[in-house]
Amino acid sequence: MRTGMVVLGGGIGRRIGRPVPKQFLLLGGKPIIIHVLEKVRAIAEIEDVVVTCPASHLEATQQLIENHRLGSRFRCVVGGGTRQESTYLGLEALGDGIDLAIIHEAVRPLVSTDDFRRLIETPDENVIYGIPIPFTVLKGHDHVEGLLERDELVNVQLPQKFDRARLLEAHRAARADGVEFTEDASLFFKYTGEPVRILPGSDVNIKITVPTDTVIAEAIYADLIGRRTR
Amino acid sequence: MGKVCVITGASQGIGRAAAIEMSKREDVDVVVLIARSADGLAGTVSAMGDRAKIHQLPYDLSDLDGIPSLVEDICREHGGIDLLLNVAGYADPRSLLDTTADNLVQTFTINVFAMLILIREMARFSDGRPAKILNVASTAGITPRPGWVAYAASKAAVVSLSATLAEELAGSGIKIYTISPGRTATELRRKLAPDEDPTSIMQPEQVARVIRTLLSDDELTLDGQNIIVRQQL
Ligand SMILES: NC(=O)c1ccc[n+]([C@@H]2O[C@H](COP(=O)([O-])OP(=O)(O)OC[C@H]3O[C@@H](n4cnc5c(N)ncnc54)[C@H](OP(=O)(O)O)[C@@H]3O)[C@@H](O)[C@H]2O)c1
Repeated sequence: MRTGMVVLGGGIGRRIGRPVPKQFLLLGGKPIIIHVLEKVRAIAEIEDVVVTCPASHLEATQQLIENHRLGSRFRCVVGGGTRQESTYLGLEALGDGIDLAIIHEAVRPLVSTDDFRRLIETPDENVIYGIPIPFTVLKGHDHVEGLLERDELVNVQLPQKFDRARLLEAHRAARADGVEFTEDASLFFKYTGEPVRILPGSDVNIKITVPTDTVIAEAIYADLIGRRTR
Repeated sequence: MGKVCVITGASQGIGRAAAIEMSKREDVDVVVLIARSADGLAGTVSAMGDRAKIHQLPYDLSDLDGIPSLVEDICREHGGIDLLLNVAGYADPRSLLDTTADNLVQTFTINVFAMLILIREMARFSDGRPAKILNVASTAGITPRPGWVAYAASKAAVVSLSATLAEELAGSGIKIYTISPGRTATELRRKLAPDEDPTSIMQPEQVARVIRTLLSDDELTLDGQNIIVRQQL
């Protein structure tokens, strides 16, 4: 089985409220997308890495890849208008002969090399990470509309691994239906019904979405590298 | 496999003494010596013994554009760099009103910009390989030095860039060490204090022994800090 990877290089970063797209924000002085790609570089089994990025940032992303000498395994393609579309385009762009696709996103820079390795080493074809939900979740907007059992729920994390051909089929079906998902385990499960294994994820592997996430990520990173200047 | 050690400013003074010290280390197989003076480099080689393989690279570090290929060539030939000693330094002391733009640019080019580009290229080629970098700053970078404004400011920049990069590279396996020697009996010191008796101050060999200790494998906790190296008289 040959493994490739799609890295969702991100959009143009409206939600975080900064002029720089999130994937280029610096964490510990290094662009967050580079935190991800450097860890992937260490894993030879990942043969082909496609980074999806907005057309406006394609060149800047390619330049980063060059500056950090990540090598010829890494290449960029223009993503789509939505996350789902970008994943689809990335999956299609992976080289012929890639059977398993790992999906990750640039905005989870605190992923570890080991997180990728465990995915690869798990024999199941479709594997995701999940962590328990430590807070109460309810249905509703302005008013409570229903209860949810948090013991039955899981906080879905990336990276994830799927049978590439099956995931592509699922994506095509979702496109035909015009349905959008926030990540691929939901889409895959909905359209294939096939088992998706959940490995225990990590509290550290947070997703940078809102401005406070960058503050939290800096604190976690400082702790991980044992920074001493505070 | 033994370590590859690159030393700038290796044609005389502290750089030469450091080259001699580093070549005594059992775990160092290759020492690459950089400075402009081929004669000076040859003089260093003749004092180094023949345990390690020595590669002399006469190069003018004011040619910043050539540094990337210089580093790439070293990495290709020797498989990478484990220890980089940024020792080269330039001083042309002038009072404020006598300082020229050329003096400022030359001082910062050798003492700061060349160092930064060497570090950048080494980091670019490191591929996650653990490595140590030692930058030579100066006590002039942390205390006032009337009459040496360009030099002192450039050494303050070395202290600052070293502290910043120690953090920025912390996750990459590259450690940065900074030393700030006090007065040391070398050519550069003679320019800064022509009337001083060189036998009354610290000798380059003493600084070199500090460098060797800092870069030993046992050393674990002195990176990222500006270490003052001063002789107690
Ligand atoms: N001596 C002191 O009291 C003292 C105190 C604190 C810090 N330091 C620092 O210690 C370091 C070593 O200085 P030192 O005292 O040993 O002085 P030095 O004897 O004058 O040596 C300076 C070295 O830098 C090299 N260098 C200068 N310009 C260069 C260029 N354009 N390209 C390549 N190499 C160049 C010189 O080689 P070429 O001339 O052959 O090129 C020489 O090998 C310097 O960074 C200095 O600032 C010295």
